[in-house]
Amino acid sequence: MKGAVAAALLGFAVQGLACELPAGGYFVDSPRYSLSYRTQPARISVGEHFALDFSVCAKDGRPPPSAAKVDAWMPAHKHGMNYRAEVKSYGGGRFYATGLMFHMPGLWQFLFDIDGERIAENIPIE
Amino acid sequence: MRAGVLAALLLAAAAPAPALEFTPEETRAILRHGPWPPAWKPDPSNRVSGKPAAIVLGEKLFFEPRLSAKGDFLCATCHVPYRGWQDGRARAMGHVEVDRNTQSLLDVRWNRWFGWDGAGDSLWAQSIRPILDTREMGGSATNAAALLRRDAEYACRYRDAFGSTPPQADEALLVDIGKALAAFQETLVSGRAPFDDFRDALERGEAARAAAYPLPAQRGLKIFVGKGNCAMCHVGPAFTNGEFHDIGIPHFIRRGEVDAGRHGGIQRLNASPFNLLGRYNDDRSGTASIKTKHVALDHRNFGEFKVPALRNVALTSPYMHSGRFATLAEVVRHYSELNLDRLHADGEAILKPLKLSEEEIADVVAFLESLTERSSAIPERRPLAPCADASAAPGSRRSIRD
Repeated sequence: MKGAVAAALLGFAVQGLACELPAGGYFVDSPRYSLSYRTQPARISVGEHFALDFSVCAKDGRPPPSAAKVDAWMPAHKHGMNYRAEVKSYGGGRFYATGLMFHMPGLWQFLFDIDGERIAENIPIE
Repeated sequence: MRAGVLAALLLAAAAPAPALEFTPEETRAILRHGPWPPAWKPDPSNRVSGKPAAIVLGEKLFFEPRLSAKGDFLCATCHVPYRGWQDGRARAMGHVEVDRNTQSLLDVRWNRWFGWDGAGDSLWAQSIRPILDTREMGGSATNAAALLRRDAEYACRYRDAFGSTPPQADEALLVDIGKALAAFQETLVSGRAPFDDFRDALERGEAARAAAYPLPAQRGLKIFVGKGNCAMCHVGPAFTNGEFHDIGIPHFIRRGEVDAGRHGGIQRLNASPFNLLGRYNDDRSGTASIKTKHVALDHRNFGEFKVPALRNVALTSPYMHSGRFATLAEVVRHYSELNLDRLHADGEAILKPLKLSEEEIADVVAFLESLTERSSAIPERRPLAPCADASAAPGSRRSIRD
């Protein structure tokens, strides 16, 4: 998890915005958005369903997005998950996705889709 | 002096060859396949999972011909205990020959999906399917429910297992029959194989014990977790990820007719009144049904079949969903000479012909054979005392074992 700067995120807030990313997650940046996420359980195991708690802030001062999608795939294998995540919005840019599962070991990639922008995050799975 | 040299030579001859060197990455991949057996966890969707009285009821039902329409088929007709709980045929034979190979029931409790296409999302739902399938047992909920209500022995064992009299609705009682059958099948677990001793020795750093594992099996294991990429799908203690892949096995059943595999399985799953999203799921937490709720139906599922577990694989020939290959060597050769034209364009991209030598094929086979533990495949049938208060129930006292 290249964005693994969880400790450094403590108290992180996107400068000048009301939108604040919660502490204790992994941080991913894209041109228009900042995103932090954590999985439940924290350690993802092959063949075990997990959930994804993520928050998104817009960098340009706009209100946080009200909708988001998340999927995952294995770039080297060119296939995705066998399950479709369901994402619920809790307002203020906070989302909770359920039903994800990685069915093979190797490099996976989370794909967050927010308002037409795709944010990818590599996840090596043992 | 001469005697000393001779003793040293004899010792050297008796001592096993040292274990191969495994890289840290290979070692991590090997350790993923254990420990064995995994810890027991009851099936939350089945309220009698692990309950001894339900296991006994399920065992009786497993060998019960009266669940079939004409009294001529039982679960054990295809899942033959002394054949590793399968039938040794390429394709199962019910009233007619069906289109797929009978899978072993050993370790079946650790499946996520059941059947080659995963149309069942619980062991109890899967146990109902052949009872109703007209090609197989051809029974009905009405027939099965009547048996449990009218036969004193069964009525008694039902009360022991479920703590109540049988429900009025035939379908609900059929589901309970499935749950008792599942409770029995959950007890069918492979014993520890030579591979397990090697894997545990590797984990504990016991070189001498690890070296007792035959070298051909070690070389085969190195291919399995290395260039063979086998452990990408055959992963975990049961050597399966429990999911579905297209590996280029022809899926034409007959001229003009194909086996849709997982694509059809998901459609049947969604249509089934017995799936975990339905009323018969005993898990109120919603955990057991997460997979069913989220499973995705995609075009690429067409022609995908479940990754089979590999424990006791040497006892369960023939292989693949259609029983296409008679020997493990043929299976390994299939991957060695893989025809990429048979794979879907949007399928598994890491599948490539392995181009193994004959020696390497023999090594992989030696490894696969080392996953076999023969005693668990020949179970002991223990005599069963009549149910204690069977006389209190209406109907005959005659046991199916009489």
